Amino acid sequence: MGVPGQYPILFVVWLLPLAGAVLCWAFGPRLKRSAGVLGSAAVGASFIAALVAWGLGTQASGSQTGAQQPLFSWLQGFDFGLLLDPLSLIWVFIIVGVGFLIHVYSVGYMWNDAAIARFFAYMNFFVFAMLTLVLSDNFAGLLIGWGLVGLASYFLIGFWFFKPSAVAAARKAFVMNVVGDVGIMFAIFIMIAKAGSVRFADVFANPHALDPWLFWTCVFLFIGAVAKSAQLPLHSWLPDAMEGPTPVSALIHAATMVTAGVYLVARCAPLWTASHDAQTLVGSVGCLTALAGALLGVAQWDIKRILAYSTMSQIGYMIMGVGVGSFSAGVAHFFTHAFFKACLFLGAGIVIHELADEQDIRRMGGMRKRAPVAFWAMGAAVLAIIGFPGFSGYFSKDQVIYGALEHGYVWMWAVALLTAAITAYYMLRLFIVTFWGDYRGEMNPAELGIEGTSSPSAEPDAHHDRAPAWIMAVPVAILGFFAFAAGYVMIGPASPWARFFERSFPRQMLPPATPSEGVTTILAVLMLLVGAAVALRRYATREALANAPARLKRESETLPAILVRLYYWDDLIDVLFVQPSQKLGRFFGQWVDPHFVDGVVREIVLTNRFLGTLVRSFQTGLLRAYALIVVFGAACFAVYYAVEGVLR
Amino acid sequence: MPHEALLPVAITNYISLSLVIFAIGVAGVVLRRNPLIMLMSIELTWNAANLLFLAFARAWMNNAGHIFAFLVITVAAAEAAIGLAIVVVVFRAREHVDVDEVALLKG
Repeated sequence: MGVPGQYPILFVVWLLPLAGAVLCWAFGPRLKRSAGVLGSAAVGASFIAALVAWGLGTQASGSQTGAQQPLFSWLQGFDFGLLLDPLSLIWVFIIVGVGFLIHVYSVGYMWNDAAIARFFAYMNFFVFAMLTLVLSDNFAGLLIGWGLVGLASYFLIGFWFFKPSAVAAARKAFVMNVVGDVGIMFAIFIMIAKAGSVRFADVFANPHALDPWLFWTCVFLFIGAVAKSAQLPLHSWLPDAMEGPTPVSALIHAATMVTAGVYLVARCAPLWTASHDAQTLVGSVGCLTALAGALLGVAQWDIKRILAYSTMSQIGYMIMGVGVGSFSAGVAHFFTHAFFKACLFLGAGIVIHELADEQDIRRMGGMRKRAPVAFWAMGAAVLAIIGFPGFSGYFSKDQVIYGALEHGYVWMWAVALLTAAITAYYMLRLFIVTFWGDYRGEMNPAELGIEGTSSPSAEPDAHHDRAPAWIMAVPVAILGFFAFAAGYVMIGPASPWARFFERSFPRQMLPPATPSEGVTTILAVLMLLVGAAVALRRYATREALANAPARLKRESETLPAILVRLYYWDDLIDVLFVQPSQKLGRFFGQWVDPHFVDGVVREIVLTNRFLGTLVRSFQTGLLRAYALIVVFGAACFAVYYAVEGVLR
Repeated sequence: MPHEALLPVAITNYISLSLVIFAIGVAGVVLRRNPLIMLMSIELTWNAANLLFLAFARAWMNNAGHIFAFLVITVAAAEAAIGLAIVVVVFRAREHVDVDEVALLKG
């Protein structure tokens, strides 16, 4: 795995974002807005370095592909190193490429935030952590990156730490992610015990060395992937993570970090290929997550939460793809998803910015005129995510769905097709309700079925110091273009995409499945058309647009409770884990701590005080008393020697 | 054996005299309350010790005792200087010096 050698360019790619983070931290108060330029420049330079390193990642020598740079040896058998092969290259490319666009966008989005330098320090730190994750050539280094991205995610979800909801969301995300970290740690323990090494090359050389624990290794690794990629049953942190600033949602909770689970499964392709049960497990979880996320997306009104559930659903597709064994299809969906989902989030960010932090789509409407760039770019991205022919998502999602059938999982194929229809419905619902019709922000929220708040939306202050519009518009437009075009590298069996990955994944010879790929494509497009037709009929007819407020109010009141309450999943976790933990905490806080921990300390204090009182009684302060004591002591010596002399 | 011939007086007499002087010094330190008198009494105990050093040095033909006597004189001089300085400072603050009243440093 990778031709060993000295590749200084890898260090440039890897460490530039870290340098940016350190500089933003150190000189933040003085940099202010130029911290954004510095942070973006660091990631941009890293992107250029990644382009320079492109040839290294694809170089082939014998059975080796890519470049392996040894770093240092920690313990015997624990050699850390960097590995750039086609798989990590594609991730690096997305992390620093899409990451750079999101950094530039953030300069505009965070323009008036006093803590802009801290924001860019965290963002650069995240990019560094993510690069550590994908560039590591062993599981231990991967786990370090895995933990660091979780930390960066925690920092950025809780970036607005004065909002209690943001703090709670950050904590939830961190705790759920740690569950996954522990899973990976267990997998590493098995590898050390059975294979004696944690390097990818050694472990993958003979997956059956892990027997009879191979399946469990896969399961533990997958627990990590489940937590990081918001798959069932550890999905519920992702929608809450939308409390962070929107660029964070775009970079971390859509384009890169949450796809780390996909990376892990794809990276461990040899292990999965060797364990059919593990493949079935991963594919099933991904497939069910795709469906569950899509269904939840139907019942949401918060623009970012809809996108969060669609992220969950799309990552479900990716996990299903890499799970059933069509690794390059899953990775392809990651590649196109990074563009269209980042574009969707950033476009939503423009809308949210335009409406002074309003996120409820019922109070939007008519944004086509007020945010035309977001309208066009998000339009392309919506067509991509629903898999409209000609747009990027069409090519990748099609591969994933067909992959399930190809590997013999017919029920997954059917569920994936159904999910495609639901995806088309809720994404068009989001798009139409937000951008078409008339602006509804001035209306009384109760008329739109919104409970709780009563005031009309705050309009942004016209004299507010705002960033130049192009800073946010240009990245969105670029991402919108790629949301359309990114799929054209993967048409046909001899496409650049297929050739790029031809040496990366284990090759399985499979008979062509029935129904064939062409039939799958036609069915997928049909499903998408059905979903789209329902959405258009419900929201986009002239009559529906004219009566939009009343219709939205009725829909708010009639949404099924099980979807609105998210399958009662959070309530279940609350009862099963959160409340017992809090009770345990109270037990320790109110009983163990005062009586045991503090008790020990208090006993030590009392003992010392008693001894002190005893010794203090000799300290009279009377000089002549001291002198008498000295004389008494001397007399004792005299008597001792006298007696000793007499006895001798 | 001690070189009795070198001593004009028997060594027991030196020891007895030294003990008497030492006892007077100790009594002065313990019984008197005037710090000046106490310092003088301490000097007496030093001198009792010195007398023994010299007597034994002579008796055993060993000059180490002489050297120790010089050391004792030096230390006694330093001690007297510091002690007098303290007495002067206390006297300035109190107008009247009684060591039993200077008893603030206690636990």
